Amino acid sequence: MRSETSPLLKVEGLCRNFGGLMAVDTLDFDVHAGEIFGLIGPNGAGKSTTFNVISGFLPPSGGSVRFRGEVLPGGKAAAASRAGLVRTFQHGSYVRSMSVGDNIRLGTVSGTPRPERAGRVREVAALLGLSDKLGETAGTLPHGLQRLVSIAIAIAAQPKLLCLDEPLTGLNETEVGTVLKVLDGYRRAGDRAILLVEHNMKAVMTVCDRILVLHHGTFLATGTPTEIRGNDDVIHAYLGQAHAK
Amino acid sequence: MDNKRKTVLHWGLGGGAAILLSLVLTDPYLRSVLTLMAISALLAASLRFVMLMGELNFALAAFAGLGAYAAGYMNTALSVPFVLALPLAGLFTAVASALFGAITLRAKGPYFLLIGFTFTEAVRVVYSKIPALGGTSGMIGIYPPLSLDDWMAGIVVATSVILLLGLFAAERSDFGRILLAIRENENVARSVGVNTYLCKVIAMSCACFVAGVAGGLHAFVNTVISPGDFSYLLAAFALAYVKVGGENYFLGPIVGAVVLVALSHYAIGLGGSEHFLYGGAIIVAVLLMPSGILGAFGKVGPRSVETKVRAARHAV
Amino acid sequence: MQHVIQLGATALQIGAVYILFSLGLTLIFGVMRIVNFVHGHIFAIAALVVASLLPRLVEGGFAAPTAYVLASLAGIGAALGLGALIYFFGFRHFQRDLVGSFILSIGFVLMLDGVLLSLFGGSVRGVPEIFPGTLSVAGAQITMQRLFLCAVAFLMAAILYWALAHTKLGKALRAVAYDHEAAMMVGVPYGRIAFLGFLIASFLAALAGALLAPVTIVSPVIGTDYLIKGFIAVIIGGLGSVPGAILGSFFVACIETVGGYYLDSSYASIAIFTLVIVVLLFWPKGVLGRG
Repeated sequence: MRSETSPLLKVEGLCRNFGGLMAVDTLDFDVHAGEIFGLIGPNGAGKSTTFNVISGFLPPSGGSVRFRGEVLPGGKAAAASRAGLVRTFQHGSYVRSMSVGDNIRLGTVSGTPRPERAGRVREVAALLGLSDKLGETAGTLPHGLQRLVSIAIAIAAQPKLLCLDEPLTGLNETEVGTVLKVLDGYRRAGDRAILLVEHNMKAVMTVCDRILVLHHGTFLATGTPTEIRGNDDVIHAYLGQAHAK
Repeated sequence: MDNKRKTVLHWGLGGGAAILLSLVLTDPYLRSVLTLMAISALLAASLRFVMLMGELNFALAAFAGLGAYAAGYMNTALSVPFVLALPLAGLFTAVASALFGAITLRAKGPYFLLIGFTFTEAVRVVYSKIPALGGTSGMIGIYPPLSLDDWMAGIVVATSVILLLGLFAAERSDFGRILLAIRENENVARSVGVNTYLCKVIAMSCACFVAGVAGGLHAFVNTVISPGDFSYLLAAFALAYVKVGGENYFLGPIVGAVVLVALSHYAIGLGGSEHFLYGGAIIVAVLLMPSGILGAFGKVGPRSVETKVRAARHAV
Repeated sequence: MQHVIQLGATALQIGAVYILFSLGLTLIFGVMRIVNFVHGHIFAIAALVVASLLPRLVEGGFAAPTAYVLASLAGIGAALGLGALIYFFGFRHFQRDLVGSFILSIGFVLMLDGVLLSLFGGSVRGVPEIFPGTLSVAGAQITMQRLFLCAVAFLMAAILYWALAHTKLGKALRAVAYDHEAAMMVGVPYGRIAFLGFLIASFLAALAGALLAPVTIVSPVIGTDYLIKGFIAVIIGGLGSVPGAILGSFFVACIETVGGYYLDSSYASIAIFTLVIVVLLFWPKGVLGRG
């Protein structure tokens, strides 16, 4: 499925430094339609920075992000989003004081014509099992459901590339199952893909088609979950013996 | 749908009652109190509208002043009729505030607030230096047409109801949702493709349109305006209305304006100090009933969590 | 040339007061992340106490300098008491809540407006001369009183600057301003540091009030004017930045002096505002503000 079609996302020579610190150093990778692409690495490996640069929340210091063939203007989050690259945030990307329905509706405001918004909200809510929570205030929901609301907002924006920043943190087994099922379904429905940063290795290994391992801001390894699991460098740097067996 | 009908009914009843009251009141003193309440409610609602996105628009006083002076100048110097001068004053203010917002809303929180404060004081100096605007002593003779004189209270209240309805509709629309998202988690709004900077400027401009018309009404009701009318205290009083009524409720600023204007007229009648009253009201409201009068009456809605969330949100 | 020196001397005098004033504002913002509008009234109360006590003490037989020191101590004491009261009953509950604390401070401002007016009356009052005489430097005249004011103000600014860098309290203040959560994690007692920071800031404002009382006309509304200038200074310099506050204060003082000399003082305040807008266009967080 790779290489025949042009990639959905093509990251070339991406750099980002903070003062003297090179957080991301000449990173290259691409994400194709139809796949779930995992981005993993130990804490401080540069995953969040990579995410922020790709989604336009930080301008790159060098290199380019090409999305659906077009180079994205650096540091313009709204533009990236309107182009079809929508992200979530690690610490919950939803509005606490608004109802779940209003939260999901936020995802529709810039891309969906007004008459279709209500329908889209119901659709997305059903997809994530939030249909009976639409009227509840997001801030009062249990943590797991709040995570789902964040994902629902992003999905409501109908991204071509859905970028999820640690969406599974704090979820129980059942909720992880729900999210993974949604992600799997999302990827299958046409020309879209998911970029996933996640610490839950079991989930990453289950759901991802390809994985990129970052270490100290640079490329360490890439491949299928099986390849990554067997890669000595990765085991050494990150996974530890426990996961290797 | 049912909710929508209820809202329409509430507006019809509330707005209608207010307008009716302004028409049946014959006592000139009570009429003047009512018009003051209406104008105060407009200013407070304008302030609250910007608060929806988490910013305190302390330039409110300056923009109410711009509206008043624009209306006054158009009416006295250019002979623009009342019915035209009022919306034009609002438009003028909206444009001016968009320019102001475009510069100052790039800065966040404290900078925006403080610039508003200094802008208010600077604009007052400008009025006092322009002879065409009456200088320090102000502008006089801003009269509505004689035929409308008896109807002024009704006109003021009706205009206020219409503008409040506009703000209400904006708050309940997706635009209002965006403003709330900007206040609590601006990154969410940006992540779904919203140009938050543009939205902030638009919100500021809408709110100041209302403030400008309120200023224009003030000019026509008082027939005299001076730079002293538009000091930062005007914004401070508006803040008191919002805070005392309940900032989480659309009705908050209206209730606050009605209660505090009534109280202050009563207190002044007893020889009390307006500043002391308003200051005390704000302190009591902030410390003892953070969700205002409406909140204290136990109205629990989806908005009630806001106050709890707020402390975390406004941390810079 | 003489003009230039005279203008420079005047700018220095005005700037000295603004520095004291804006250092307090920037300190409070840095440590507590609040915008303190009551600062002007803390300043005013010190000035008012000095202005009303000093003539009585002099009439009571004290020598002018002694009376001034006593009155100043009383004024600063009153201001610090007010500051502590406001902190404990108000701002303590609103740390890092910009909007909430601001609304509260507006409440205090309005209330104190009423209190000061009824305590001290609306009339302005003059104060007898404490340090008579003028000093002549290269043709420019500076009264001894103003020279004294400058000297104390600069001394205080220098002490504060030194203390922030070298004392334990100063380091704690800076740590809290930089990242209060990290500071708390390494054992800085945030509550106490915030209170001390607030008191130091109030002290600076009170000192400015006590110093200014003999050289200016004191009225209950004196604080507002200085508050505006102080805020402009910290906006220009960058909220929370100590060197920024000093830089901003001089900037405002220079424009005010030069503008006031060649045009008139009200045009100067328009010029200052224009300057603020220009600064914000290029540096949305002030010239020396942190991102």
